[in-house]
Amino acid sequence: MFDVRNLHVVVDGAEIIKGLTLHVPAGETHALMGPNGSGKSTLAYALSGREGYEITQGSATLDGEDLLALTPEERAAKGLFLSFQYPVEIPGLSAIAFLKAAVNAQRKARGLAPMPAPELLKLMRAKAEALKIEEDMLKRPLNVGFSGGEKKRFEALQMAVLEPRFAILDETDSGLDIDALRIVAENVNALRAPTRGMLVITHYQRLLDYIKPDRVHVLARGRIAASGGPELALELEREGYDKYLRAA
Amino acid sequence: MNLAELPNRRVEAWKYSDLRAAVGDAPYALRGGRDIIERLAPCLESIEMTPGDQRVLIERFDGSALDARASDIFVHDNAKLTRIVIQTGDGIPLSVARVGLDKGASFKQFVFATGGRLGRIETHVALEGDGAEVELNGVYMCGPGRHADLTSVIEHKVGGGITRQLIKGVAAKGGRGVFQGKIVVAPLAQKTDARQYHHGMLLEDGAEVFAKPELMIHADDVQCAHGNTAGGLDERALFYMRSRGLPEAEARALLIEAFLVEAIPEELDAAIRDELTGRIGAWLRERA
Repeated sequence: MFDVRNLHVVVDGAEIIKGLTLHVPAGETHALMGPNGSGKSTLAYALSGREGYEITQGSATLDGEDLLALTPEERAAKGLFLSFQYPVEIPGLSAIAFLKAAVNAQRKARGLAPMPAPELLKLMRAKAEALKIEEDMLKRPLNVGFSGGEKKRFEALQMAVLEPRFAILDETDSGLDIDALRIVAENVNALRAPTRGMLVITHYQRLLDYIKPDRVHVLARGRIAASGGPELALELEREGYDKYLRAA
Repeated sequence: MNLAELPNRRVEAWKYSDLRAAVGDAPYALRGGRDIIERLAPCLESIEMTPGDQRVLIERFDGSALDARASDIFVHDNAKLTRIVIQTGDGIPLSVARVGLDKGASFKQFVFATGGRLGRIETHVALEGDGAEVELNGVYMCGPGRHADLTSVIEHKVGGGITRQLIKGVAAKGGRGVFQGKIVVAPLAQKTDARQYHHGMLLEDGAEVFAKPELMIHADDVQCAHGNTAGGLDERALFYMRSRGLPEAEARALLIEAFLVEAIPEELDAAIRDELTGRIGAWLRERA
């Protein structure tokens, strides 16, 4: 389903991702772990099409379709979703208006009619309730004055409403207390499906206690330094990243 | 007619708005008056609000000629006046309003301006009675060849007054937005609470936003804050929205609208709010 081959990414003249290869089959959730500065967020942004992240070599495809030739919005319409490590505040635009615009823009790109407002509202309310997001929050300007945990919950809400084919979750656990982490993880797990894949980016094993990955990859110095089953995350928690940094 | 009587950029109060150049060869007549807009206006309108009175005034400028208007407004004890100025069209709209506020009086103004060959909405407010309140908000949107100037002077002459000012505007290539805002707090005006913010957004290279905020504080027990920014669209926000599937043009328009709408007071009449958001939307669609 999601295939990245020999990807090289340059930011401000420096090569951050140096030949990364990764394959996530449909129905699987993979974890990408690595120390600070290993290129985790760079990879997430580059795959989503952020400006300034220049891809100098390699390929990335979703269901065989070249993602790198597409604009960020086209990638989203194909079903790619990035849960941001630092969700952006947008004063003056309510969360509900934002989500409505996003849902209907994606539907339009897929040749579907806009979702009727009452139906969309019902959907949002149901998903918000599952994430324990108060309805009042949906009316507030997007992410403005939200706590770190609220922002992450809101990312999870967007993901639940947009139902992407493939989701990249960048440090979804940062800023979450243990209760919020459990709620967000439950909702992410509820989205796991045979036709959907996920890449969960994290520093810590903790998140993986809740979102159990099928595979774990270690990113060090811009490359996958090791891959393995869930036990690899436990080993990293015990022994740290040192060995991979020395080897890379 | 003597062109030299019109101010050009050498006159400090008009340094960003060259009236002489904008008027060019167009005919005009001058009467007596305290400043050039009052002298250009055919008459001086006088409005007096009796104690406890409440009123909403709506003024529209939508012509394509020189249109100068001057008014003196006095709001007596505990009266409330809301003034809405909607400036569209492509002429030379000029307005000067001098507003006096007595004890506990409230003056709220909202200006929507798309500019003209040169447009200037000038407001002078004097808080003359204790505990008066002023809100001076505005939005300007300057397309190519349009010039909008929002100028204000607020004088806190006595204590306990409140000023809230939020001006937001955007300029496209070839458009120019001007904000000049002076707040004076007199030595007697203790416990004044004044806040002034202006945020201008330059949509493209070749757009211009000029701002001259001035706070002159002569009292020591006051709260005064001000902020002034000019910049482009938040690229992080733009990417965030595109990553959710919003096409770039739509994301830009939504962001600009969201930026501007913050300056429209919540308590404005729904019909006026709808008109204003409609005008903002139409302006953005025209440019998309």
